[in-house]
Amino acid sequence: MSESEPAGSRKTGTEAEAEVEADADAERDGRDAGKRDAGERDAASGPETPRMDADESLLAVRNLDAGYGDLQILYDVQLDVADGEYVTIVGPNGAGKSTVMKSVFGLTTYMGGSVTFGGTDITGRNPEEIIHEGLGYVPQNENIFTSLSVAENLAMGAYILDDVPEGALAEVYERFPILDERRDQEAGTMSGGQRQMLAMGRALMLEPDLLLLDEPSAGLAPDLVDEMFDKIDEINASGTAILMVEQNAKEALRRCNRGYVFVQGRNRFVDSGRALLNDEEVRREFLGG
Amino acid sequence: MGIADTYSEGRRFVIDRPLALVVGLFGVLLIVDFVGGLATGRIAVSAVATLVWDGLMQGLVVGLAGIGLSMTYSILSFANFAHGDYITSGAFSGWAVTYLLAGLGRADIGSLLLVGAGGSVFGGALGIGATQTPIAIVGGLVIAGLFTVVLALAIDRLVYKPMRDQSGISLLIASVGVAFALRYLIAFVFTTENRGVTGAGGVPEIQGYLLDGFVAVSAHDATLLVIAVGLMAGVHGLLQRTKLGTAMRAMADNEDLAKVTGIPTERVVNATWVIGGALTGIAGYMFVLWKGTLGFNDGWLLLLLVFAAVILGGIGSVYGAILGGLIIGLTNSLSVLWIPSDFARAAAFLVMILVLLFRPEGLFSGRSTA
Repeated sequence: MSESEPAGSRKTGTEAEAEVEADADAERDGRDAGKRDAGERDAASGPETPRMDADESLLAVRNLDAGYGDLQILYDVQLDVADGEYVTIVGPNGAGKSTVMKSVFGLTTYMGGSVTFGGTDITGRNPEEIIHEGLGYVPQNENIFTSLSVAENLAMGAYILDDVPEGALAEVYERFPILDERRDQEAGTMSGGQRQMLAMGRALMLEPDLLLLDEPSAGLAPDLVDEMFDKIDEINASGTAILMVEQNAKEALRRCNRGYVFVQGRNRFVDSGRALLNDEEVRREFLGG
Repeated sequence: MGIADTYSEGRRFVIDRPLALVVGLFGVLLIVDFVGGLATGRIAVSAVATLVWDGLMQGLVVGLAGIGLSMTYSILSFANFAHGDYITSGAFSGWAVTYLLAGLGRADIGSLLLVGAGGSVFGGALGIGATQTPIAIVGGLVIAGLFTVVLALAIDRLVYKPMRDQSGISLLIASVGVAFALRYLIAFVFTTENRGVTGAGGVPEIQGYLLDGFVAVSAHDATLLVIAVGLMAGVHGLLQRTKLGTAMRAMADNEDLAKVTGIPTERVVNATWVIGGALTGIAGYMFVLWKGTLGFNDGWLLLLLVFAAVILGGIGSVYGAILGGLIIGLTNSLSVLWIPSDFARAAAFLVMILVLLFRPEGLFSGRSTA
């Protein structure tokens, strides 16, 4: 595999802010913020190619075999996420997309291979340990504590710290103003979109280096899907790497730096999001033409 | 038009919910009978007040013992049938210490520690009571709590922890085994006889005159009230205001999410046993202090009412356990207004069944407040 340029160039603080502001401007102007954003990213990072260099990867999955109990789902999976990169996994149902994430987070039965995060081997470790390494995980379903208030949910997100980190909490409230408004509301009484934001907010309380998102747009109304993707763009723009599984493959590939196409428990294609979108075979088989 | 609407609504109610109608009519019948009894003087107001007070006391015991059961259910997802024998264990350990503190120098230590097994020492002769021997009572209360914590943790380590991933049914069956083992171990050590434990002279009490008779509140009633309400308030504060309490509620809510959030679930489980065990042991001790007798079957017999209370309140909810306990206690006590006291328990269970018919998930359903 050839190595030319880092696929995901981590943005500096000011650049990130500028981008967020630019996005906001674009929205005010009524232009399509998403498309413009994608164009800008291409211009910034140039032609993107898959990278397989474990030394530079924040997350490096090598030859991973995993499943549930005796049932093997993943076969020889290779996957990388660079510092600050935005990576998407797409593919048909049952391809093992979610299983990859669960395996990274120590929620499946380990069968072989390795997972390295930030240079630390986290293979086969349990979630309670992994969360200390700077990985955040937002499951697809039941990803909030429904009987707890919004504020309590966020406090639980920072359970491993002695005190609730004021800075991170303020940032979450700033990023998701609806959570600020509803601090004392019982989380289970909120709408699907609000729940998803709370779930992300909870995972962001520890300011992770990499955020794992399992189908963040699942079950959301179409107008909320765009908003959700914009939020994810913003989170990525402020320096958090993203690894996301998405059913909404076209939109996800349009927005990410790189994409993986999973088929039957193996990663079959890997390229920049844009290249995958334009790839004839990928389009025909996985994106519905 | 108004009349027609009312008529059709009424018709719909009768057709849709015939059971509600029957229960409602039955309730009206009981109330009519009750009011009639009061009017003709068949039922004394003071007697009703005494029954209400007595029911409240029973309710506090049942509710306090129910908190532990409900907590372990919500965190560990199984109904612990050994809970009744945790109550008994707390009672015996605490009363052994109370006997020791109250009777030191007046009887040999062995008989005191065996709570007068075989008639070697009589509680009545030691003059034990909240006002006569307060230090012995407090000492016993603390030991009852501590001993039950140690017992609950030890049994968890030995039996339940190795089975943590098994289904709730397997754990339930295992807990029935634990219940028998504990009960007959207690019977083996302390014998099966029922003994009186409090001072023979009776418990000091305050009597108030109410319309047609006296209502008595004893020192042990007051002790039970203060301790039970204090502990319930404490549990509420712990669950709502502390990080551990929030984590317990979070784990009761969604254990898998608690794990990926970094909540150390095994530590929360241990904390649950500690808090639930302490409350259970203290409930057992207070139960015995309040009724004045101690037997190896006390907890087991109480467990039925505790289960009724917890299920009635919505299993898994601490507040449901408290409310359910009060309802069961009051029903148990007040039912003698209509039926012979031998059937009081049946009445308590009937109320539980009726509540569940209308609210199958219990009163505090969908609110898994640990």
